[in-house]
Amino acid sequence: MKLGVLYSGGKDSTLALIKAQQYHEIACLVTVVSLNKESYMFHTPNIDMTLLQSQAMGIPLVRAVTKGEKEAELEDLKKAIAEAVKKYNIEGIVTGAVLSTYQASRVQRICYELGLWCFNPLWLKNQVELLHEVLQKGIKAIISGVFAEPLDKSYLGAAIDTPMIERLAKISSTHHINPAGEGGEIETTVLDAPIFKKKITVTKHSTTYDNYSGLFAIEDAKLEDKQRNSNGISSVKNQRFST
Amino acid sequence: MILIISTCKEQLSEFEFIRPIALLIENHNTIHCSNVKPADIKPADKIIIAGTALKDFDYLKEDFSWLKDCEKPVLGICAGMQVIAKEFGVELEDFVTIGPQKVEVTAENKLAKDSFNAYFLHTKTGTGDFKVLATSNGKPCMIKHNEKEIYGCIFHPEVMNEEIIRGFVQ
Repeated sequence: MKLGVLYSGGKDSTLALIKAQQYHEIACLVTVVSLNKESYMFHTPNIDMTLLQSQAMGIPLVRAVTKGEKEAELEDLKKAIAEAVKKYNIEGIVTGAVLSTYQASRVQRICYELGLWCFNPLWLKNQVELLHEVLQKGIKAIISGVFAEPLDKSYLGAAIDTPMIERLAKISSTHHINPAGEGGEIETTVLDAPIFKKKITVTKHSTTYDNYSGLFAIEDAKLEDKQRNSNGISSVKNQRFST
Repeated sequence: MILIISTCKEQLSEFEFIRPIALLIENHNTIHCSNVKPADIKPADKIIIAGTALKDFDYLKEDFSWLKDCEKPVLGICAGMQVIAKEFGVELEDFVTIGPQKVEVTAENKLAKDSFNAYFLHTKTGTGDFKVLATSNGKPCMIKHNEKEIYGCIFHPEVMNEEIIRGFVQ
């Protein structure tokens, strides 16, 4: 069946997409941009990167903006999913939900009301295993936000790689944080994956950090061809993106 | 060995409804409900019939007639409880609950006690003459066959109440 993926641009929704694609056609991505920084449902740093990620994957994006008021933002999500149904004939939604019964049950309810299937292929997955699967599947993600002690500035912009997974696993045992950031401790942005026909290169960014809360804000990024030319240099296309 | 029976029409749903249960049980086999044969049931010590997606109703067309002769402990979760109820002649009713709800244990039993929060995801239920073990908002949500060790649980214990699954398996 044709499915839409609730896509935030981070490691979880990208991994969920890759898993769902093994069984079904991914017809579109659905992104809700919340203007409320306190939103429980949608707030994600660098959410506008989904525009570039959509181009990189060659999967169309249905994008909605919400003020982020508590129940109204669910109505905005429902409208965005309904638009995806209309435009791309999707029969179901895929999410990257892992632990949050708050988020999962709200998406389940919207899918029920719209008569759609709801798939959560990462549901209750062990978070260290999840991080390893992100690597195994070739997803290149960076940490684009930290929101908990003892995450310091050095995490911002750092790649999710094997040493980083070991580091996160270690601090999760001493500081009661979720190693994959399922409690909102860490946000990630995916720059490349095998499903990306082009990779994303960050050309301008800024970092802000104070008291265990920081952002790696991508201000400018571009798509680059992944196949190297005869000189071994990636050729750069003129698809630029600015926030 | 614990036999986990999948009711999922879509394989993609099994990441969500089978794998979290399988992770809690060291020695298990998994089989789809459309393929269950006496040879699968015979080596099992206990059986869990797992749930599936809200949109999925194909399991209601499958053959669970083996349940009537089954002398082994069985735990039906969500869709699993529905097929148990249906197999013992209970008519299912449409009743939707999505998300965490409070559960009150109303009869002493081996799987749960007192009160707790549990994750619900169902559009049908049915309890008939089964013994009610627990309720949520006044509606039965855990049941047991009056004679057999056959339990039904309309919520998903693998989400917020792993101890129910561990207690059943022990």
